[in-house]
This record gives sequence, C-alpha cells and structure tokens, in this order.
Amino acid sequence: MNLLTALARFFIFPGLLFAIPAAWLVLWIERKSVALLQQRIGPPFGQPFFDFVKLMGKSAPSRPGVNGVLMRAWPLIAVSASAGAVGLLPVLPTHGGFQGDLILLLALMEIPAICMIVAGFSSRSLFGEIGSAREAVLLVSYNLVFLLAAVSIAVSQHSFRLEALASATATPWRYLGLIAILICLPAKLHVNPFSLPNAEQEIYSGPMVEYAGFELALWQLSHGLEWIAGVGLVATLAIPPTPHLWLDVAGVLFLGLLIVLAISIIAAATARLAIDTTVRFYWQCTLAFAVLAISTTLLMRLRS
Amino acid sequence: MSLWTRLLCACRRRSPWIFHMNSGSCNGCDIELIASLTPRYDAEQLGVLLQGSPRHADILCVTGPVTQTAVSAVHTVYEQVCGPKAVVAIGSCPASTNAFIDSRVLVGPLDKHIPVDVYVPGCPPRPDAIVRGIAAAADILAERRDKTVASEAPVTSIANPEGARP
Amino acid sequence: MKIFGLLWNNLRRGVATLRFPEVPAMTDGFRGLVRFDPACCTGCAMCRFRCTARAITFTAAGKQFTWAYDPSQCTFCGRCVDGCKDHALTQDADCPPIYLSARGLRTSYTLQRKTPPPKSQPAPTRTTAQSGETHEQH
Repeated sequence: MNLLTALARFFIFPGLLFAIPAAWLVLWIERKSVALLQQRIGPPFGQPFFDFVKLMGKSAPSRPGVNGVLMRAWPLIAVSASAGAVGLLPVLPTHGGFQGDLILLLALMEIPAICMIVAGFSSRSLFGEIGSAREAVLLVSYNLVFLLAAVSIAVSQHSFRLEALASATATPWRYLGLIAILICLPAKLHVNPFSLPNAEQEIYSGPMVEYAGFELALWQLSHGLEWIAGVGLVATLAIPPTPHLWLDVAGVLFLGLLIVLAISIIAAATARLAIDTTVRFYWQCTLAFAVLAISTTLLMRLRS
Repeated sequence: MSLWTRLLCACRRRSPWIFHMNSGSCNGCDIELIASLTPRYDAEQLGVLLQGSPRHADILCVTGPVTQTAVSAVHTVYEQVCGPKAVVAIGSCPASTNAFIDSRVLVGPLDKHIPVDVYVPGCPPRPDAIVRGIAAAADILAERRDKTVASEAPVTSIANPEGARP
Repeated sequence: MKIFGLLWNNLRRGVATLRFPEVPAMTDGFRGLVRFDPACCTGCAMCRFRCTARAITFTAAGKQFTWAYDPSQCTFCGRCVDGCKDHALTQDADCPPIYLSARGLRTSYTLQRKTPPPKSQPAPTRTTAQSGETHEQH
C-alpha cells in the first residue's frame, strides 16, 4: 500500500475529510430523530456545524489557578485519537484499507473517554471531579463487556487484524460479540440511559464544566467522531464483504445509519439511569453474556 | 466584512445557547422558560440549547428581582459566561422589581448590576414571548463585534448604582 | 415496552410545534399591556391607588395632572382597569412586546383637568306642591 493511498485513506475516506462532516451529520441525525420522536421540530440541518463555528468565535475563559496548556491539550488528544480510530476502520477491506490492528482501534477508542476523565480532574472544579469519577466508574463497567466481546470476535476468526476480520466469512459468534458491543455503545457515547457523566442540570455538565470556546468545539467534534468510530466498527464487521466497492460502502453506510437511529430511539425512550443501576446492569446481564461468548469461542478454538 | 466574519455572524444567530439563572424569582418565569423548550414552543428549532454550565452559553437568561443573597452569584455567573454574550431579562422582576418594590432584601433591578440587552415583559411572559426574546438576543449577538464587552451601555456596579443611562 | 408504542404514536401524529414566529391563539380575557384613553380620564387617581406594583404614577399640579405607566413595573393584574369608573383604561388582548432599552414602553400623558359637565336635569317626578321650582320645569 503506497504512501498516496495511505494519505488518501487518512485524509479523505474514511479519514478526516469524510469523518468530520459525517460526525456533524450523525450528531444532527441523533438530535433530529430524538426531536421528531418527541413531536418537536428539532434543530435545522447543519446545526452541529453552526455550533462548531460559533464556538470557534468565543473568547477564551479566564481560569485562574488552572493549567491552561493542559486543559487545551486534552480535547486535542481526544480529537486526534478518535479521528485515528475512524481512519483505521476497515471500510474497504478488500480494496486496500489500512493494515490495522483491532487492539490499536480499541485503544484509540478508549483515549477520548480517558481524556474526558483527566480533563474533569484538571479543571479543578468540584463538578468536574464528580463527573470524572462517574465517567471512570462507567468506563470500568462497560469496558469489561466491550473488550471481552471484541476479543471473542477476534478469537473466533483466529486473527486480530482488522481487514482479515472484515473480509472473513462471519460466524454466529461474531454476531453475538457485535450485539454485546452494541449494548455497550450507549454508555460509550454518553447517550440516555447512560448519559450520567455529562448530566447538565445535576452536575453542570460534569467534566466539561470549565471548557469554553474552541476547546468545547473540539470536545463536540471528538464526541461526533466517537459516534462514527463506534457505529462504524459494528457496521464494518457486520457487513459481509462483496467484490463491489460501492456495494461495500453503501452497505456500511446503510447499516451505520440504522444503528444511529436505533441508538437515538433508545435515547429518546429512556431516562438517565443512576450510577448504581448502570453498573449493576453492565456487570450482571452483559457480563454473563460476554463470559458465554468468550468461553464458547475458546472451546471452539480448543476443539479445532 | 470578510467571509469568515460573515459566516461567524450567521452562525452566532443560528446557535444561541442559553444558561438560565434565577436571582430570587417566584419561579413563574422559570417554569415558562422551561415550557418554551417543550414540544409546543420548541426553542430548539432556532438552535437554542439549555446548557448546564455558564461557560458553554452565549445568552444569560435571568429571572427574578435581584435579592441580596443572589447579587454576588449574578456577578460571578456573568463573569463566567464567555464573550460575546447577551443578557435577557425575563419577566418584569429583573426589569424593575415589579410588585416587590418596597422589599428590604432586594438590590434593585438587574440593569444596576449587569448590562441587559433584551427585556421580555410579562408576569410571567408567555413562552412564545420568551422565544422571541431569545431570538432578538441572538440577533444582537450576531452584530456584536467585541468579544469581551456585552453592550455599549455603561455598566453600573454595586458601588455606583445611579450610573449614567443612555 | 409501552414507551416504544408511545414514541411510534408520536412519530405518526407528527410535529406539534408552532413554527417560529407563529404564536398560539390568545385566550379570552388575556391581560396584556394597559392602554390609556386620555379623552375619558377625569383624574380621580383610583388606578394609582389600586395598582399593586406602583406601575402607574400620578402627579397633579393645579388644573394639570400627569399620568404615567411603566410596563416594566406592571404585573398585569388588571386592578386599575377594574377600578377605573371612567373606563379610560383597557388591557390589550395581546402579549406585551419585548423591548431593548431599560424603561422602554413607558407612556406618560399630561392632561388638563376637565370641568365636570353640567348635570342633566331630571324630569319632575314629584307631584307634591313643594316641588314647584320654576327652573326645574322644562
């Protein structure tokens, strides 16, 4: 894979030039579908783009006693990690995608959440600390399921390489793992019923409380890119590969749209759960699920 | 005006994020403000989002006559809103203390402490009037050039309550 | 699970929002801005007495009086309208408009006190002889 293709994959599709407008589109689809389900009109098309530009024009806040360089670094790291995760997605596995690793993709998807936790603590605000503590607890509970599900998918296909996973024929265990990942996605994306860390009225937006202007715009962008990366991971691994380029892309986009709509419907249907209920949910139901998945794949591996 | 400035002004008008502050109100205006976010009046069709943190907002919506215990909070929150910003006084209480004019715990109408851009009269104002007030504040915000100063009116402070009025 | 049925109903029923700047129909008896009719006012200052929020100010000097109204002070209770015997005050059936400057919408009228009109003579109703004053008979 030559440099030009690599650059095209990173910057154009599915890289930055595709990912950033797609992130805005997905954020708009989520807001609009939640609004329509509540019989409201909702924001006009392109609203996340207007929000982004407006935030770029705000003045910097004065935060005495807080390390400004550190505060500015966290959203930058979060955006670059999630953009890298989007770039790594095996959208076109048979046509020369990135030679990526599932472990690398999972690590890149974890970094924005960790950045949010550290940003909450480095903002030296009481609300930031509470929000970060909640986010940390949430991270620990859903990550167990998320990583177990991802590992079970890789073990069932005998490979951790993304394009090998995407181009191999799917086994039923892969779909089991993908369903587990789908259950973890609302927590990863901070939507109802697991939107605890950024609760607006309870803890004044939690970790984001001291952020304003361009930094806040970057956080919104990284949130949108996390949507793309999470939904894209499920969509690219669920669609079986076809020899046609456009059919692959269309299938991934269509399934991605369906997943976004499903998560939005669940977000509109539920209210925010408290932290103990959330943790109990993830540890009880889905831990059993993930243990089942990984034990069956290991047994399958041992037998073959 | 350069292309970037025009784009920025258009986006400021289309994305007014509000922060709601109660400086001692009876909650009538607060209820109507929340009602303006419900499906019937839906302020989100203008891009309005109720934010949790003052740092995230552009427009500060204040209700209530300013009580002595609330006045320092009003100042703190106003400083925390990042420029360019606008202030909407919702109801007649922040405009003039309304029926509480003889009260000993009030420190006067809101414009003695922070510069106010839009007044929405009513006791309480209807939600559609509040949405119109926020839209007017968004228009004012779009025209604002300076990022730090809220309005051209001279700011009166606690030390100087009878500052010159335009 | 009923919530999904509710959401599906919401989607089917469509959007219930009033598109900006449409406003809902005003209800009967909505109390809006107070309007003053200078032709009817006789300067009794009953409205200033009844006003709960000191929105109406009344100053009199000789044969002149000034009636001023500050909607930013007004609580739109309607006591002034109910108390005006000359029916000089009415309330709008519409929302008061938003304004941009402090004390905008203040109105103030300076009027001359009217001489009261001559009392119309009542038709003679008494039939006794004591009612025989000539200027009462027309």
